[in-house]
Amino acid sequence: MTHSIIIPDLGATGGDVKIVEWLVREGQHVDAGDTLFVVETDKATEEIPAFRAGYLRRVLAHADEERLPGDVVGLMTDTSDEAIVDPTAASVEPVAAVAATTSVSRVVRRLTASPRARHLARQHNLDLANVKAASASAIQVRDVVAALEGQPVAADWLIAAFRRMVLIRRYEEHLYQLFLQGLVPGTLHQCQGQEAVAVGVCSSLRRDDMIFSTHRPVGHLLAKGASLNAITAEIWGKATGCVGGKGGQMHLADFSVGAMVSNAIVGANIPIATGCAMAFKLQGLDRVAVSFFGDGACNIGAFHEGLNLAAVQDAPVVFVCENNLYAASTHISVTTRISNLADRAAAYGMRGYTADGMDVEAVSALAAAAIERARLGKGPTLLEYRTYRYRGHSRGDPCGYRADEEQRSWLARDPIERVRIRLNQDFGVTEENLGTIEQECQREIEAAVEFALASPEPTAESCLEHVFA
Amino acid sequence: MGMAEALRDAMRIAMRKDPTVLLLGEDIGVSGGFGGGFTVTLGLSDEFGHDRVIDTPISESAIVGAAVGAAMAGSRPVAEMQYGDFVFCAMDQVVNQAAKMHYMSNGQVRVPLVLRLPVGASQRGAQHGQCTEAMFTHTPGLKVVCPATPYDAKGLLLASIRDDNPVVFFEHKLLYGGKGTRKESASVSLGADVPVEDYEIPLGTVAVVREGGDITVVANMLMVHRALSAAEILAAEGIEAEIIDIRCLVPLDIATIEQSVQKTSRLLIVEEDHLTGGWGAEIAALIAERALNYLDAPIRRVAAPDTPLPCAAALERAFVPSVERIVSTAMQMTR
Repeated sequence: MTHSIIIPDLGATGGDVKIVEWLVREGQHVDAGDTLFVVETDKATEEIPAFRAGYLRRVLAHADEERLPGDVVGLMTDTSDEAIVDPTAASVEPVAAVAATTSVSRVVRRLTASPRARHLARQHNLDLANVKAASASAIQVRDVVAALEGQPVAADWLIAAFRRMVLIRRYEEHLYQLFLQGLVPGTLHQCQGQEAVAVGVCSSLRRDDMIFSTHRPVGHLLAKGASLNAITAEIWGKATGCVGGKGGQMHLADFSVGAMVSNAIVGANIPIATGCAMAFKLQGLDRVAVSFFGDGACNIGAFHEGLNLAAVQDAPVVFVCENNLYAASTHISVTTRISNLADRAAAYGMRGYTADGMDVEAVSALAAAAIERARLGKGPTLLEYRTYRYRGHSRGDPCGYRADEEQRSWLARDPIERVRIRLNQDFGVTEENLGTIEQECQREIEAAVEFALASPEPTAESCLEHVFA
Repeated sequence: MGMAEALRDAMRIAMRKDPTVLLLGEDIGVSGGFGGGFTVTLGLSDEFGHDRVIDTPISESAIVGAAVGAAMAGSRPVAEMQYGDFVFCAMDQVVNQAAKMHYMSNGQVRVPLVLRLPVGASQRGAQHGQCTEAMFTHTPGLKVVCPATPYDAKGLLLASIRDDNPVVFFEHKLLYGGKGTRKESASVSLGADVPVEDYEIPLGTVAVVREGGDITVVANMLMVHRALSAAEILAAEGIEAEIIDIRCLVPLDIATIEQSVQKTSRLLIVEEDHLTGGWGAEIAALIAERALNYLDAPIRRVAAPDTPLPCAAALERAFVPSVERIVSTAMQMTR
């Protein structure tokens, strides 16, 4: 049977798509998922995979030729020697990327290298799987050069990520222990288990990029570099708190590092981050806004309205969904029919990717690519990271709704242990050095709590301050 | 210049002088379109482009949310709800976000946005004509403005755009003016001169639009004009009403109202908002607290009843405070 190969709708602004090169010759066999050809749009260079196995029989659009999405550029058959049927016949079934949604999400998950880096790697027959990104971004040309020269990738970035994740984990656990002793005022929504998402995303941002966090903000704030003393004092309701005691645990901020007041209305920060990004764009700035939210937020209207507006405005915003499987106590299967929340991006003509949120390197590679796209004016992206919340939704939630087996399986994928092993085995960082980092974090945390406890309470008069500017 | 033109003029001036001012709303900038529900933004996208006059999807929550985010990032957005009633789709963004961000940040971020709401009964029924000022006066952190004249509309809108706080700006549909099919059939003719210059009317001020010594009548928007008509009838009966246009509800210039009540000893409040929990109830409470001993009669309110807004002309006449009701209530109070 003959199948036509079609230029997918790549979510570009429309117009021509240029064929860069075919990676398969006529007559050659391909498996589903193998890259057939590379195209260039006004937005990016992308590899177009085959969606079924077969033989490439005819190339109808060659390198440097331009076509429109939906155009047939080649023909495949199931066997190597069968007759090719007229491609315009009704029986012809497309094999590549008929639906924009499918093609885009499949292409995206491979997109962890810049087009130039990919091109260079291809020229040298270097498998990108053997190239490590040196910093918190997708594989760049310098990484390919380093790999070609046989140089090891610097471990600095990974060590910094380890330190940041340890700080978050130890801080949250320290608070939890104090909470069990009745020493933490107010509410508590903790992020143990989700550290890789916060750190992987924020380590790819600039200081002047803005993040909009949630009722579970500690990881995002610390990953963005917020003051540990100020957020700790805020949790204890002190005058030295990051927002003077007006916020509490769910409303943490550090404006000096672009961490806006975290928002405790589920999904509300999605349109807000969008508007922030629209303002950046209008002001001619190359700053990026990031909205963090959970899987539960994907079912509130603000998600739909915000993503759609961001898409039509090409707003430089990245939507980061931390899919920890539970909206408070309700499992995602009870509330949502689709398996990949990132697929919803297709409904807005946006790119959407699902990735492992327990792997800080994978998180970072994907986030860096999305952030770079946003910064270059190529519009928003929805990133879904699969992760797990080790503790309850909020204080006093013993998680009676989660099976032990499920919890064990996620704990076995712990993002910090994963980096510890990688640093130790792949980069030769000793246990002793890693232990030193942990001790330093612990001391910093204990000092922050001491600072908070020793700080004065806000004055009664300050209750009336800052209603209006 | 009618009120729609005056508002447009204010936005044009603000946008020319300040590149951070941008407009968001449904149908506000479409080329060949109608400039929002009531022509207020007509032509502005021709001058300022579609990047600054942004046609949004029908997504009120995203319109207001984006305005909040843009304001936090240094822009001065002016967001339009096509009808004021639609703001309820965006109430989280208005009440939980716009109103609270400055406070929640302990003064570290500002949210300088204007939310324009066309309101007022105009034979469109319960979901296209409510006056809902009190819902916003009850939310700390929002300024609430409600002009009655083109002159005030322009000066108050310029002041609102340049204010560093979220301002909910009510515009009564029957006061817009306009021409041809775009003019509301029950429109009030307002012959005010509006200067072409840039001028601001400070928020937090009221206007004494008619002086009189027998009764103070406080009203806003369309009700100011009904109160003025009533005052002419009352004058023929020998009753001189002092009419105060409460063009800004938050912040509230209660002192001017109090001074007037000290002079007249009577207070009548006229509002198209519902009676129960309306802004009129708040004014009544404030005057009772501050000037009870000056009063010669109970404070009275003429307000919309506690029912949804009906559509038919006969029902709407029964719903919206009329000149006759104002006159008869004032007569009872001064008898």
